[in-house]
Amino acid sequence: MQPHPTTDLPSGELPFMGEVKAGFPSPAEDLREKLDLVKLLVRHSASTFFFRIDGVSMVDADMDEGDIIIVDRSLSPFNGCKAVCFIDGEYTVKRVEIKGTEAVLLPCNEKNTKFKPIHVGADNNFLIWGVVTWIIKKA
Amino acid sequence: MYALADCNNFFVSCERVFRPDLNGKPVIVLSNNDGCTISRSNEAKALGIKMGDPYFKVKDLAERCGVAVFSSNYALYGDMSRRVQEVLRSYAPGVEQYSIDEAFLDLSGCEGLEFDAYAKAISQACLRLTGIPVSVGIAPTKTLAKIASKLCKQYPKLRGGCYLHRPQDIEKVLRGFPAADVWGIGRRSSAKLQKMSIRSAWDYTQLPETTVRKLFALPGFKTWKELRGVPCIEFEDLIEPKQSICVSRSFAREIDDLPLLSEQVANFAGSAVAKLRKQGSLALELAVFAFTNRFKESAPQTYGSQLVVLPEASSDYRTLIQASLEALKALFRPGYGYKKAGVVITRLVQAEDHTGSLFIDSETQEREGRLSSAIDAIHRSYGRESLLLGTQGDGHIRMARDHQSPHYTTLWEDIPRVKVK
Repeated sequence: MQPHPTTDLPSGELPFMGEVKAGFPSPAEDLREKLDLVKLLVRHSASTFFFRIDGVSMVDADMDEGDIIIVDRSLSPFNGCKAVCFIDGEYTVKRVEIKGTEAVLLPCNEKNTKFKPIHVGADNNFLIWGVVTWIIKKA
Repeated sequence: MYALADCNNFFVSCERVFRPDLNGKPVIVLSNNDGCTISRSNEAKALGIKMGDPYFKVKDLAERCGVAVFSSNYALYGDMSRRVQEVLRSYAPGVEQYSIDEAFLDLSGCEGLEFDAYAKAISQACLRLTGIPVSVGIAPTKTLAKIASKLCKQYPKLRGGCYLHRPQDIEKVLRGFPAADVWGIGRRSSAKLQKMSIRSAWDYTQLPETTVRKLFALPGFKTWKELRGVPCIEFEDLIEPKQSICVSRSFAREIDDLPLLSEQVANFAGSAVAKLRKQGSLALELAVFAFTNRFKESAPQTYGSQLVVLPEASSDYRTLIQASLEALKALFRPGYGYKKAGVVITRLVQAEDHTGSLFIDSETQEREGRLSSAIDAIHRSYGRESLLLGTQGDGHIRMARDHQSPHYTTLWEDIPRVKVK
């Protein structure tokens, strides 16, 4: 198994470095509140999944190789959202455009013309797996 | 009113969530050590693959017919089960997890609801949120709810939800439902029923009360009443911190060797302690049980269990694993093939309510505490199998799992990869 960077802590808990003992009691001693990243990033824990960006075939797509994206299946795709789709046997992030009752999958970068729009619903070869809610990238 | 939510072909469905290309294709999941078939897609059932079929027996057929084969991936199934439970909890005040893929919902107090629409809504929510198809039966008793959920699997037009309550519907369904398939009717009862020419569940409900009580004792009588619409199997809601923790498993092959069985039991104890620590409890007692395959009538049978009272309430990995191994040694009888074993830790107290003992020096205790916390931290970061104690199963690692899918939802290295196009 590959060791992974500590930024990948799965439980949302920050590593505990031990207590600092000072001369007088801290006024915050009874306040055990702390910021919880998971609470911020995961609204629905039943329907939230993580994916890693594997290949980027365009520039200016907000997403780079190695980024982690957070995907929530409970959200209905809305016009302009980014979504993880399953197309031709692989996962692909697309921009979704809703036209009436139809969803159209477009390249993430509007200027990209290499990939043709895909119409969802005509057959079952394309499915929208879940809506992207956050992109986590290393600074 | 009760609901039963039963995940369809659960292990296969978990694999398909991350492999949508396998929808509509035959898929099977194998037991530990790639022994036998434990979950089948409908397409695999149609090919004639049976539950429990050894893999070597179906391997040729699987290759010929393009069946996708998976080793079991319990980290994935456990996490997907947790997700389905979470969705169910938003639909009922009380949820009783009955097994990894089944849960009862207590809908008392929800009488004004349109139950048929409600059942379908629960099923659709599970599918949309988690990707798992779930059959939801709602009925006045748990036993009838279970039958209603089976109807959903038989009739796709029910769209995953079925409300069974009108007496004429119940009669019609029970007339077509084999008595042997009713929840609570065991192997021995169904043999008796066969002798009496009682075939359908309806026939069973028509037996006189005295006959049922005499021949099938209290459990059989409860089932009889439940089929007649009178609820009498209690609802066990498990929302409270658990008062006991049990980790047990059946083995693909019988184990007659103490070191091998010790490895398994140490693993069970390790998982039980992890659960114990997660809910912040300490244990005062621990029991180990092991038994032979009761279906193999030709083989010698034994059942053993051994209780250990711990000197001090503990949630220390080493202490509890050691205690479980000693218990196993005490109950183990050579010459028997053990089919199932487990560890139960009981008499739990909350760690914060607990005052330490006078007899154990605090330095030792503190050292043990630090070691166990370090183990927890490593498990959190690298997964349960990353660090094992002495006897704990490297058997786990030697196990055949040639077809295991990634731990998509429980290991960062394994999360699914996605391209941007």
